[in-house]
Amino acid sequence: MRDFRRGLLATLPLAPGVIAFGLLYGMMARQIGLNPWGAWAMSLIVHAGSAQFTALSMWQASGAIPIVLTTLVVNLRHLLMGASIAPYLRGLPSAWKALLALWMSDESYALAIAEYRHGAGGRCYFFGANVGIYLAWSSSGLLGALLGAAIPDPRRIGLDLVFPLAFLGLLSTLLDDRVGVGVALASGALALAGMFLLPGKWYVIVAGLVGSALGVLLEKAEERCVKS
Amino acid sequence: MREVLIVAGMALVTYATRYTMIAALGRKAALPGRPEGRSLLRAWLRYVPPAVLAALIVPPVVAPQGQVAVGVPLWATLVAAVIAWRTRNVFWTILVGMSVLWVLRGLGV
Repeated sequence: MRDFRRGLLATLPLAPGVIAFGLLYGMMARQIGLNPWGAWAMSLIVHAGSAQFTALSMWQASGAIPIVLTTLVVNLRHLLMGASIAPYLRGLPSAWKALLALWMSDESYALAIAEYRHGAGGRCYFFGANVGIYLAWSSSGLLGALLGAAIPDPRRIGLDLVFPLAFLGLLSTLLDDRVGVGVALASGALALAGMFLLPGKWYVIVAGLVGSALGVLLEKAEERCVKS
Repeated sequence: MREVLIVAGMALVTYATRYTMIAALGRKAALPGRPEGRSLLRAWLRYVPPAVLAALIVPPVVAPQGQVAVGVPLWATLVAAVIAWRTRNVFWTILVGMSVLWVLRGLGV
C-alpha cells in the first residue's frame, strides 16, 4: 500500500501536462463529431494519448481499418518498453502482468523502470504510477469533452515541455556509466534524424533498437579495453 | 457502430503492444538465471530504457514544430539537463525547466 501511494504520488509532477492534453483531446474529439461519452470511452479503454490524437486526425477521412492499423504502429514502441520491464515482472502471477500491461503509459513506464533499476521498484509502485496517469488522462478527457468549448492549446503556454523534462529527469537517474551516456546521446541523435526520415513514431522504435544495440557493442568494447 | 468498432479495435491493438513482450519475456524460462546475470539479451534490455527515453526527449525539444529550431524550449531543456545531472530529481528538473521556459518567454526571447 505504501509503494502504491509512492507510485501514485510520483505522477504528480507530470499531472499538469497530462491533464492539459487530456482536456485538449476531449475538446478535439467533440469538434470532429464524437459525443462526450464516445470521447471518454476512448480515453478509458484505449488510454494512449498520441494514438488517440492521431485517430482523431484521421476520423473523418479514413476507414476503421486504417485508423486501427495506425494506432498499432503508433503504439509499437510499447513492445520495447514491455521487453525492458519484463525481467522485473518475472515470477508475478499472470493476472498481475496482464493488469500492469493494461495501463502502461510512456510516463508510468519511465517512472517504474527508473525505480526498478534502483532496486526500489515493485508491482505496487508500477501499478500506482499507472493508476495516477490513467486517472489524470481519463478524467481530463471527459472534462474536455463536456466543456467542449475553447480550451487553450497547452502547447501555446509550453506545457508540452513537461514530458521531455520528466523523461530527462528520469533518464539522468539511469545513466550510471559512460556506456549509458553514449547510448542516450546516440539515441537522441538517431531519433532526431529519424523524425525527418521516417513516418509517424517509427523514430522512437528505430532509435530505441539501434541505440540499445549500440550499448551492447560499447559495453563489449569497453570490456576488451579493460582486459587488454 | 463505426465508432464502437474503431475504439474497440484501437483498444485491442494497443493492449497487444503493451502485453506481448511482458508475457513473452516475463516468464522465468525466457530469461533463465539470476536477474543480474549476464547474457546478450539482458545486456540489450539494460540499454533499452535510456535509448527509448532519449528518443522521446530530443525531437520535441530540438524540433518542436517539425523543423530544427534553436529556441526557448531547447535553452530551457539544456538548463534542466544541468539540474537533472546535479540533482537526479524529476520534480526539480520539471520545475526549473518550466520556469526557465516561462521566464524566457516573458522576456520575449
